[in-house]
Amino acid sequence: MGIMAENTAKANKGVFAVTVTSNRQIGRRFYRLGFDLKSAATEAFANYKAGQFVQMDLSGAALPAAEGIAEEFRDAVSKKTILRRPFSFADFTVKPGKASGEILYCVVGASTVRMTTLRGGDTVSIVGPLGNGFWVPEGKKLAILVSGGIGTGPLIHLAKVLTSNHSGIEPIAFAGAKTKEDLPFEGKLDRIAQDLGFSLGEYARYGIRSQVATDDGSVGFAGLVTDCMAEWIKQNNPNPHETIIYSCGPTAMLARIAKVAAEKNIDCQLSMEEMMACGIGVCQGCAVACRGANPNETIYKLCCKDGPVFESKDLVFSS
Amino acid sequence: MNEAVDIAVEFAGLKVANPVFTASGTCGYADELADFLDVNKLGGFITKSITLKPRKGNPPQRTVETDSGMLNAIGLANIGVEAFIAEKITLIEKLRVPVFVNVAGSTLDEYVTVAEKLAGQKAIAGIELNISCPNVNKGGITFGTDPMQVSEITSAVKKAAGEKILMVKLSPCVTDISITARAAVEAGANALSLVNTFTAMVIDIETGRPALANKTGGLSGPAIKPMAVYLVNKVYNDVAKAANVPIMGLGGIRTASDAMEFIIAGATAVAVGTASFIDPASAVKIAEGIKKYCMRKNKSVKELVGSLQV
Repeated sequence: MGIMAENTAKANKGVFAVTVTSNRQIGRRFYRLGFDLKSAATEAFANYKAGQFVQMDLSGAALPAAEGIAEEFRDAVSKKTILRRPFSFADFTVKPGKASGEILYCVVGASTVRMTTLRGGDTVSIVGPLGNGFWVPEGKKLAILVSGGIGTGPLIHLAKVLTSNHSGIEPIAFAGAKTKEDLPFEGKLDRIAQDLGFSLGEYARYGIRSQVATDDGSVGFAGLVTDCMAEWIKQNNPNPHETIIYSCGPTAMLARIAKVAAEKNIDCQLSMEEMMACGIGVCQGCAVACRGANPNETIYKLCCKDGPVFESKDLVFSS
Repeated sequence: MNEAVDIAVEFAGLKVANPVFTASGTCGYADELADFLDVNKLGGFITKSITLKPRKGNPPQRTVETDSGMLNAIGLANIGVEAFIAEKITLIEKLRVPVFVNVAGSTLDEYVTVAEKLAGQKAIAGIELNISCPNVNKGGITFGTDPMQVSEITSAVKKAAGEKILMVKLSPCVTDISITARAAVEAGANALSLVNTFTAMVIDIETGRPALANKTGGLSGPAIKPMAVYLVNKVYNDVAKAANVPIMGLGGIRTASDAMEFIIAGATAVAVGTASFIDPASAVKIAEGIKKYCMRKNKSVKELVGSLQV
């Protein structure tokens, strides 16, 4: 695979300060954090790939006023956190001497509660760029992007990369969540809910068709996004050799996607998530079960260094 | 301010430019950190644990954050001593600072065999004997909590290690750490490092299960620092000072002021661990901070070791 070099190319990693430019709430628990990279970081991030990530230090960010903290997080925010948190970019633009991007995030605990108080002009420390992003094998004409919940972030970035750099590939996107409220998109989902052919704004801006699925049927396809995708594949019957599936989301969803990809013999890249301490491959905490050299052997690779994007055929999912 | 103050120390016969090392398991085999810090600016480097055979480590979840700390149960995942010698020694040879290789095992024979293989490696200054890992079924901490076994394994590895400096890493999970410290020193340890992590548990109250697949893990980070400082001071007073055996102090060091507490308590050198996960350049920044402190106090690090006023 000649394109592999693109995936494994190592830019110089480092610890950098980024300047926050915006921090918009786009849903009940979803925000988009805009940032600019300063000049030293711009060079290191010149080859940042969709699906790579940074480790952000949020331990020094302020807490919201007590009444602004949801009850479910009040225990968590009383603890002193020390570790950084990993985030992929949902958008990233490099121009000479300047780079800017956006992180799509969901408030899930102490660090992301603090993240909501960041304002334009604040600086935050990041370590990056880290890990290996999505790559495009040769001969692909169709890219199926499947996301679950907050896993959408790096796929929106990938959508942009595919449309701007890979004109021979047509992407289509599927986004799933438990309920309408758990979909991290802007805009009114209700009005368009009746029509499965509608486009999410985040993908439509790149000319990409998209479909949503919710487990409770509150919007779009009623059921799992993986079933929605499988249904589409069944109906459209794409040439498996010319197709690739890219996905990011909860592990149970990724396991189902890996199964569909294996059944249909479609290449598939999955962005995995594991609890990380360092993000740079030294703590060895973020073990991901993978196939070893002989078929029955399971080995552990590191999500931060060997991933977070893996080929689904290399992964071992526990049932 | 005296800019000429000396922060160099002599550690078990090694002359090091400053007293700051990286702790085992937090900085890999040195190559991983190249993007973030100049290893040659450290006092020295301690590698990730090496065992006789490669180990794949524990299943995930392997780490969990705690209040001002973290638990890990990596399970000594490592490439094994043969691969270490084949792949990593050439990188270590290029470093100008002394390197200790942390050695772990499940049996006495394993420790001895690994030490024998390392004894002939010129690039290595010493061996850190890991008899305090809390995250493996066999060996590890079970060797480090029984003074008879500490004595037996220390003298066997000392013999196998030839000219190499032998530093024994002690577990804090004992009733009296001075007993295991004394056992190590009397069996020939050239230096002591303390403390390894504290065995601990985090429970997910939604599932009622431990957060880690290994059930328990080792607690590190700022949460353990005051306990580690106390134990360093205790071992210094009870054993190390009289025996003239230097202490490598570690446990929750994040800043130069943390490091100075360990030095005043009796550590000749310090190792930075969990802090490197947060800022991979921590260890070098701490060395710079120690220099500033010494300039302000107009004292050398040597003068400050064990200078606790009581």
